[in-house]
Amino acid sequence: MKSTSLQNLAVHAEQYQKFETEQVMTWCGGCGNYGIQNALKRALTLEGLGAEDFIYCFDVGCSGNGSDKIHANTIHGLHGRVLPLASGVKVANHKLKVVAGAGDGATFSEGVGHLVHAVRNDYPVVFLHHDNQNYALTTGQASSLTPAGCKRSATPYGEAWGETINPLQMVLSLKPSWVGRSLSADTDHLTELLRAALRHEGFAFVEILQSCPTYNREMGNKWFLERVKDVSTIAGYDPTDIWAARRLAEMPYDEGIYTGVLYHNPQRENFLEVVPQREFGDSVLVDEVRHYDIGQEMAAMKP
Amino acid sequence: MIVGESGSGVPSVGVIMAKSLQSMGYYLATDREFPSLIKGGKHCQVINFDDEPLWATSAETDIIIAMDKKSMQYYLPRLRDGGVLVHGYERLWGIGDVLEECERRNITVVHLPARTIAYEEGGNELMTNMVMIGMAWRALSLPYAAVAAQVSKKFAKKPKILEIDLRVLERAYAATEKLIDVPQPCAEAVEAEKILVDGNHAIALGAVHAGCRAYFGYPMSPSTGILKHMASMSPRYGVVVKQAEDEITAVQQTLGAMYAGTRSMTATSGGGFDLMTETVSLAGITETPLVIAIAQRPGPGTGLPTWTAQGDLHLCAYSGHGEYARAVLAVSDSEDAFYVIQEAFNLAEELQIPVLVLTEKLIADSYWTVAPYVQGNIPIKRGLVTGDALGELVPSDRYKITESGLSKRWVPTRSEAYYFANGDEHWEDGTLTEEADQAGAMYAKRVRKEQLVIPSAPAPTVYGPAVADISFVGWGSTKCVMRDTIVAAEREGLTVNYLHYTLVYPFDGGAVADFAEGNPNVHLIEGNATGQLGQLAARAGHCDWAGKCLKSDGRPFYLEEMLEYVRAHVPHNPTS
Repeated sequence: MKSTSLQNLAVHAEQYQKFETEQVMTWCGGCGNYGIQNALKRALTLEGLGAEDFIYCFDVGCSGNGSDKIHANTIHGLHGRVLPLASGVKVANHKLKVVAGAGDGATFSEGVGHLVHAVRNDYPVVFLHHDNQNYALTTGQASSLTPAGCKRSATPYGEAWGETINPLQMVLSLKPSWVGRSLSADTDHLTELLRAALRHEGFAFVEILQSCPTYNREMGNKWFLERVKDVSTIAGYDPTDIWAARRLAEMPYDEGIYTGVLYHNPQRENFLEVVPQREFGDSVLVDEVRHYDIGQEMAAMKP
Repeated sequence: MIVGESGSGVPSVGVIMAKSLQSMGYYLATDREFPSLIKGGKHCQVINFDDEPLWATSAETDIIIAMDKKSMQYYLPRLRDGGVLVHGYERLWGIGDVLEECERRNITVVHLPARTIAYEEGGNELMTNMVMIGMAWRALSLPYAAVAAQVSKKFAKKPKILEIDLRVLERAYAATEKLIDVPQPCAEAVEAEKILVDGNHAIALGAVHAGCRAYFGYPMSPSTGILKHMASMSPRYGVVVKQAEDEITAVQQTLGAMYAGTRSMTATSGGGFDLMTETVSLAGITETPLVIAIAQRPGPGTGLPTWTAQGDLHLCAYSGHGEYARAVLAVSDSEDAFYVIQEAFNLAEELQIPVLVLTEKLIADSYWTVAPYVQGNIPIKRGLVTGDALGELVPSDRYKITESGLSKRWVPTRSEAYYFANGDEHWEDGTLTEEADQAGAMYAKRVRKEQLVIPSAPAPTVYGPAVADISFVGWGSTKCVMRDTIVAAEREGLTVNYLHYTLVYPFDGGAVADFAEGNPNVHLIEGNATGQLGQLAARAGHCDWAGKCLKSDGRPFYLEEMLEYVRAHVPHNPTS
C-alpha cells in the first residue's frame, strides 16, 4: 500500500487544522491513540470530509478519551456498545459517514455480540478496532486478545484462561464485507487504510495493532514494525478471496503480520441496501419527523 | 368466554366473534388469558360487551364456549349459575361431571357434535370452530348475517374454504335454535364507527403518527406485539424496523438514532428493560431524548410471561445509575395509548430526557372498541434549534448551564457549532471535565430539569363525581376497572370516584392532596404487592390511605371484586 502523500496533505492543511481542538491530550507518551487519531484526521481530510460530513462514535476506554480531542460531532457512549450506537446514527442520517472506535476489551468481551451482528448486518460504519491487547484505562488487565501467559494486573501469574481470540479470524468467519489491518505506529499506512475504509459502503473492520507503552511492554512499536508487511508484497494477492485472507489471519505474529486491505467483498449489499421497508435515497430519517396519516390503518380496524 | 387448549383456535374464534360484535355497534372490552407455551395448556378469550361503554372484564361469565374437555372443566367455576355452556364435545359420557354440575347450577348446555358436522359438510378439524361460533352466536340471540359477514371477510381470499365454513356455520346456527329457548335475533343495521384495537397496536400507531422513523426491538412478551405491528405497518410509512440481537442493541440503536436527530423508539418488558437501563443513564447524562415502552408482566425473573402486572413502576422511576431528570408515563387502555406515546416523544425531545412508557399485558394484547383516533391534535414538539438560528449557535450552547436546566439541542452536523455528546462528565460544549465546580453545576442542571416534567405532561384526571363515598387513586389499566366500577356502583346507590395518574414519575403530589381534601375515604389501587404509586405519594407527603387494594397474582382487577371492595369499604353501607 502506498503511503500518504504528505505533499497532498499540505495542500489541505487548513482543512486538516480545523479538526484541532485546544484540549490537552491525556494519553500516555507513546500511546498508539495519537497515531490513530492523527491518521483518521488525515484520512478524513484527504477524502474531503469535514466536521459536517461525519459523526464519530466512541466507546469507553483509553480510545474514548479522544471524544473531545477532535473538532467534530462526537458521541461517547457506554463500554462495549459503540457498534449498535453507531448503526443507529447511520440509519437516522445515512448521508453522513459514521466512524466508531473501541478497544479490544469492549469489542471482544463486553460487546462481542454486537460485533458479530454488526458484521452480519453490514451496517455502513467504519470501525476502528483499537487492539492494544489489554484493558488499559482500568490499569492493564488482560483481555481475550492478550496472548496466553502474559502477565497483567488481574493475572499476575500470567493470563491462563482459554485460547486467545484471533480477532481477524473471528471477523472473517462471519463473512464480512471489508477487513483491513494496520499499525498505530505507521501513520502513513494507517491513513491510506482508513481512506479505503471511508470509501467502503458497508461495515469496515479496521484492525489497528496499537502500542500500549504502559501496560503492554511485550509488544511495542518496534516489535510490531519488525513484523509487518503490506499485502501488496504478496504477488497476486486477491483481496476478494476470503480464504487467502484467513490464511494471513492465521499466521502467527512471529511469522509476519500482513497489513492493508486483507479482504473485501464487492458483491455484498449493506444494511441500507437490503432494508425492505424503504429506499435510503435523498431523504434522511432526520428530516422525516412529521405527522403521518394513519387513516388506512384505522379503516382496517373497522368491521 | 372462549376457552380451549393453546393451539385449539381460541384466538381465531375470539377475533371473529369480537369483530362481529363490533360490527353491530357494541362496546367491547376483552382480555386473553394464556400460558407461555405454543401448544396445550389452557387458553381463554374473555369478551365483555354492552350497549354502553365498558372498559374492564369480569371474573364471571354469562356464556362459555368450550373448545375441549379440559378447558371446560377448568373454567366451569367461572360460569355464573344460570349461564350457558356451549360445547361440541362428542363423547358425552366423558363429561358426566360437567353435565351434572350444569344441571345442579341451572346452566343451559348448548351442544352439537362439532366434529361430525364439520366433516359431514366436507370440512376438517379446523372447521369445528365454525360450529362453535354458530352455536354461540345463536345462543346469544345475535343475527346470523353479522357473523357470516365477518367469516366471509376473514376467508375472502380462500373461496373454497369459505364456502364450507359458511355451510358449517349456518347449519350450527340453525340447529341451535332448537336447543335453547332465547328470543329471535333482531337484525338492526347500525353504522359501527368504533375501531377494534389492542394496546400494542395503539402504541405502534401513535408512534408512527408522531413521526417515529426507526423502531428497534427484541421480542419479549407482552411487548412483542409492538414490534410485530411496527413491522407490518413499516412499508406503508417507510419506517425502518429492525429486530436487534438483544435489548442492549435495540436501545443503543434507538439512542443513536435519536441523537442523530430523528424519532425512534424501542419496547420491551421488565427483564429486557433491566438490560437497557445503563443506556437510560447514558441518555440522562448526554441529554439525549429516549423513548422506551415497557410492557409489564409479573416478575421477578421470568415470572409469569403471559400475565399482567403493575410491578415495574419503581424499576422505571429508579432505573439507571446516577441522578437525572426523567419521565415515566403509563397508558391505561388502547384508547389513551395512542395519545400517551405521542406525549412521550414530545416530552423526551423537548426536555432532552429519557421517557419510559409503562403498559401492561392486560393492555398490550387486549382489544377494546374505541372512538377512531383524532389525528394531529397533539402537535409535534421537537425542541430543536432549526433554520437561521443554527448559524448563531456556539458549541457551548449545547449543555449551557441555565436556570431551568434546559439548554439548546440541534441535529449534529446541521450547524457549524459541533458538540460532544459525552457520556463522561463534561462542560458546556461536551468537553470532558473532572473539575468540582463544573461537574457539580452540570449534575445539578440535569437534575433540575425534573421540575419541567410535571407542567409539560398530562395532568392527573378525576373520573366520577368530585366527591364520593369511596375514592381510589391509581395508574395504568386500573383506570378501566374503576370506570366500570363507578357506573356499576352508582346503580347500587354508591358513589365512587377515581384519580388517575398518567405521569407516574415524577409524582404530582398536589393532585392527590387536592383530591384527598375533598374526599374522606381515599384508597390506593395497584396491580402490585407493595403499593408503588402509594410509596411515591407518601414521599410527596400523602400517606394516609383509608385502604389499599393490591393484587399481584398476574390477574387483572375484575369488576366483581372491585364492587365487593367498594361495598365493604363504604362506611355505614346499607348493602354490606
